[in-house]
Amino acid sequence: MMGGGMLFRVIALSLAALTIALPILGGPLAGSGIGISPYLANIIGQIATFALLAIALDLIWGFAGVLSLGHGLFFALGGYLIAMHMLKDGYVNAGVVPDLMTFMGWTELPGYWAFFESFPYAAVLILVLPGLLAFAYGWISFRSRVSGVSFAIITQALTYVAMLLMFRNDTGFGGNNGMTGFVSLLGMPMGAPSTAVWLATASTAAALGAFLLCGRLVRSPFGRMLIAVRDDEARLRFLGYDPVWPKLAAWTLSGVMAAIAGALYAPQVGIINPRLLSPEVSIEIAVWVALGGRGTLSGAVIGAVVISALKFWLTGFAPDLWPFILSLLVLIVVVGLPNGLTDLRLPKLKGARHGG
Amino acid sequence: MPVIRLLILLAALFGSPAYADRAVLSGALCAPALADQIAALGALAEAGATGGKDEAAWARTVVEAVDARALRCAASLAFIGEGDAALDAASLAPSPAPVDAAPMPINNRLRAAAASAAAALTLFVDTEPAARAKAATTLERRREALSLTILDAALAAETEPTVLAVLEPLRARMMLADPDPQNRIRAIDAIAAETTLRNRTLIAEALSEEADTTVQAAGQAAMARIDRQIAIGQVLATLYSGLSYASVLLLAALGLAIIFGLMGVINLAQGEFIMIGAYAAWFVQNAIRALLPGLIDWYLIIALPISFLVAALVGVVMEALVLRRLYNRPLMTLLATWAVSLLLINLVRVTIGTQNLEFHQPFYVVGGVPVVGDFIVTLNRLFAIAIAALAFVGVVLLLRVTTFGMNVRAVAQNRAMAGAAGIDARQTDRLAIALGSGLAGLAGVALAPLYNVNPNMGAGFIVDSFMVVVLGGVGSLAGAVAASFGIGQINVIMEPLYGAVAAKVVVLLLVIAFIQRRPEGLFAPKGRR
Amino acid sequence: MAAEMRGAHAIQVEGLRVTFGDFVAIPNLTFTASYGEIHGVIGPNGAGKTTLLDVITGKTRPKEGTVLLDGKIDLRRLSEPQIALAGVGRKFQKPSVFEALSVRENLELALRLRAGSILSELRGWTDPRRAARVAEVLGETGLTDRADAPAGILAHGQKQWLEIGMLLMQRPKLLMLDEPVAGMTDSETSHTADLVRRLRAPDRAILVIEHDMAFVEEIATRVTVLHEGTPIFAGAMADARTDARVRDVYLGRH
Repeated sequence: MMGGGMLFRVIALSLAALTIALPILGGPLAGSGIGISPYLANIIGQIATFALLAIALDLIWGFAGVLSLGHGLFFALGGYLIAMHMLKDGYVNAGVVPDLMTFMGWTELPGYWAFFESFPYAAVLILVLPGLLAFAYGWISFRSRVSGVSFAIITQALTYVAMLLMFRNDTGFGGNNGMTGFVSLLGMPMGAPSTAVWLATASTAAALGAFLLCGRLVRSPFGRMLIAVRDDEARLRFLGYDPVWPKLAAWTLSGVMAAIAGALYAPQVGIINPRLLSPEVSIEIAVWVALGGRGTLSGAVIGAVVISALKFWLTGFAPDLWPFILSLLVLIVVVGLPNGLTDLRLPKLKGARHGG
Repeated sequence: MPVIRLLILLAALFGSPAYADRAVLSGALCAPALADQIAALGALAEAGATGGKDEAAWARTVVEAVDARALRCAASLAFIGEGDAALDAASLAPSPAPVDAAPMPINNRLRAAAASAAAALTLFVDTEPAARAKAATTLERRREALSLTILDAALAAETEPTVLAVLEPLRARMMLADPDPQNRIRAIDAIAAETTLRNRTLIAEALSEEADTTVQAAGQAAMARIDRQIAIGQVLATLYSGLSYASVLLLAALGLAIIFGLMGVINLAQGEFIMIGAYAAWFVQNAIRALLPGLIDWYLIIALPISFLVAALVGVVMEALVLRRLYNRPLMTLLATWAVSLLLINLVRVTIGTQNLEFHQPFYVVGGVPVVGDFIVTLNRLFAIAIAALAFVGVVLLLRVTTFGMNVRAVAQNRAMAGAAGIDARQTDRLAIALGSGLAGLAGVALAPLYNVNPNMGAGFIVDSFMVVVLGGVGSLAGAVAASFGIGQINVIMEPLYGAVAAKVVVLLLVIAFIQRRPEGLFAPKGRR
Repeated sequence: MAAEMRGAHAIQVEGLRVTFGDFVAIPNLTFTASYGEIHGVIGPNGAGKTTLLDVITGKTRPKEGTVLLDGKIDLRRLSEPQIALAGVGRKFQKPSVFEALSVRENLELALRLRAGSILSELRGWTDPRRAARVAEVLGETGLTDRADAPAGILAHGQKQWLEIGMLLMQRPKLLMLDEPVAGMTDSETSHTADLVRRLRAPDRAILVIEHDMAFVEEIATRVTVLHEGTPIFAGAMADARTDARVRDVYLGRH
């Protein structure tokens, strides 16, 4: 059933095992036969942030039936905020002048960079800003019953407009070039093997945390209410519940989780730029979830891991091939496996999941 | 000067009229007073300007002789050259000059006037645009022999824009330099009749040196008039460019709205269907160039049905392979059509390349008609508007009058009931998809003379077309039109003021605000569902 | 308390006017339903039956008129969930249950022990009264042996009963059933009639909108016949059959 069962346990245990093993295999045992190279640790870390992102989207799409084609917005927001912290920290504490100051012609960082050298301040913002953004947009939309395709399209338009804004230098976040040249995070120098391992560990830990939290959540009465929202919002309303609140709670939580994923992702790739806000990135998140199977958290994780691992592998030698594979994969899944890979596992209850 | 008059009379009696005129004109150069000589140069230039090309060529020969100190005068008859080798200045026939023929006295003023007259005549004689342009710039400095008659004649005959660009303001300055204030006022009014920014600058220049208060007042009034016209022109130009953008948007959005209204499917590949339409037009162009080069100018027209059909075919294939299986899962169709768009973009990239396609610009999409101020009704935009208007009328007729239209409306309202009434809903879906995709294909043709055509061109339109559908409501043609024009106008009005991004932000905020009050769209029928 | 309520108006609609653009769905409707009765509302298509339900549940907002629950609660000022909490339950035409949830979970969700915020309801989820009430309703609807099956796999009739069961959990003062037997077999219809009769209570008014005349005749204690948004008859079903106007506009067509 709903996210429970064997598969859920297997995935939770794998994530836990990775979280424990990574610092050991990537640290003391790095050079040995069973060790993990910093490069591999970095890839694992990135994929873990994608899994976290997929869990975030599955909570709102798979369980509450609200499709966001704009989760890249929250992901990028988290990435930009941590990048601002790292740049400001490098500037203040290591005297490294960020590139964007040079090409913007700034002699010092503008007012909105204040306090960013403090990690706790940035961390709080990473939780609060995306939360506020999600809450505001969700409140506006859910209250006036914007849902389904309209909601999805507007989330995509929001992200697209954000991308256009961020591409401009005047917006003040590095424009086309974005932010890069990070010095260190929490005292760990960027580029050091140990940093890669620790960031990857943090990512798998975060994915595990989100997986367990959401797993609990969807099996709670609150989770049942989310499923009720998905299945028949009008009926729920006539039972005396206002569906706005459960939707808004799940939506906001989802936005915050996506931002955390972004904040873990940016230091691992060493750069953040507006391309994360392109519609393709956001749609790809939905593809992970659709491929893995909406409404099962395990499916979301499997979808994210399988597709992004495939992408890492393919872009290595045939980058031109990836769009073809991705589009065909989507078409096959959407047409042939309405519930994603879970369709391959066992015959599903007819009608147990409907709608889009 | 009675003697001269007599001679003219004689000449008129003996020779042809042209010869008589030429004798008089050239003879006048032999007048003793400098002012008369300069006037004679002017008269020569004017005669050349109004008398046709031969007359102009003759006049220039004479004028050049003055400049070259080759002109000799004997009793009011002009000769070119010395002694037995001399030519009669009127006929240019060999005619030994009398011994008493004296070289024409020449000074700087006369030479300047001669240069001016020569330049003026060059405008009528020389076939080389560059030479005429050079002559025109000479005239800007040397106006001694220049008159409005000459300039008007030159402007009437001239076609070369570079030359016109010099002559037109020159004429204005000539008029504004008239010693009589009344004439200057008339000149200002005449110039202000054509309300362009350039004419406004000319008047402003003249006024900066103007002492006469009545002229000043007339000038200020004229400038205000031009300002108003230019402002109107700018508004019209903005509206016009918004209109053309809106037309393309309408074509794309109509297709989206029909498909969405009927099947609840938002086609994220609609932008790529525009791209397919434009590429089909490009193939049509190349085919015609290779097979029927004589028809090359008409390729855009020929491409209209072909692009429609090609895009419609792609749409029908997409329906048959993908959408048909997703009818009750609208959110999945978002992913599926996105995948189709990704596939189409990359297929085109791999097979044709990422570069912008080059399109031949036939005469009916080049240039435009100036209307008011600096507002020009450009034909390429008019072409897009015309296609959109025709297609819209076609769609309205199709939906209102034909059985297909009735079926579409029936299925959109109640699929099960329509099926029960004997309507083949599947067939209706297929045709509607074909129509919706075909309209995007038409948008591609309309865009070909206007925008860059490359594999990624669809992305720029898709967000705006969705906004049209969201704002315009489902299946409402009037809503789609209103929303297209609203969004089209916002884009062009905002863009010059705050940039393209600001326009998109405003459109998005408007859509979010609108959808608050009307989740079903601007013109959606109220009532129960 | 129940005795006081008996005979009082559960729902009282006065001077109701509903328009959709230029279309006047209900020009001027006055209608009442009393506690203890099963009130059938019949009329041809487009008579305004469903619109009336939409107005009472807050889905459609009228232009004019008063809609009072229990003689004092102005429903026009409440949101849909508030109206539901005030004691109005509605069964939709199409069976409307949460298909991915089990029958038991559907019923659990329908019980509002603490009429108020969702949060307090969720916190009190394990209240033993909830389980007891669920078991009771499972018995009443005959769904006890399907309690842990997902609602999505139930047969059409069972879904309808589950939905009625969810309404029972709500303990509504006014229960409105929109074509409860549409698409049911004869035996399912008679089971539904039993169920509706059992729903009857002295502190509850039941409004049944139906096309099936036999079904209405079987269960209704009173009927109102609507035509173009106007009541043309109110009284016993038997009298309705003989009423000339009713025959003209409605029965005559069948």
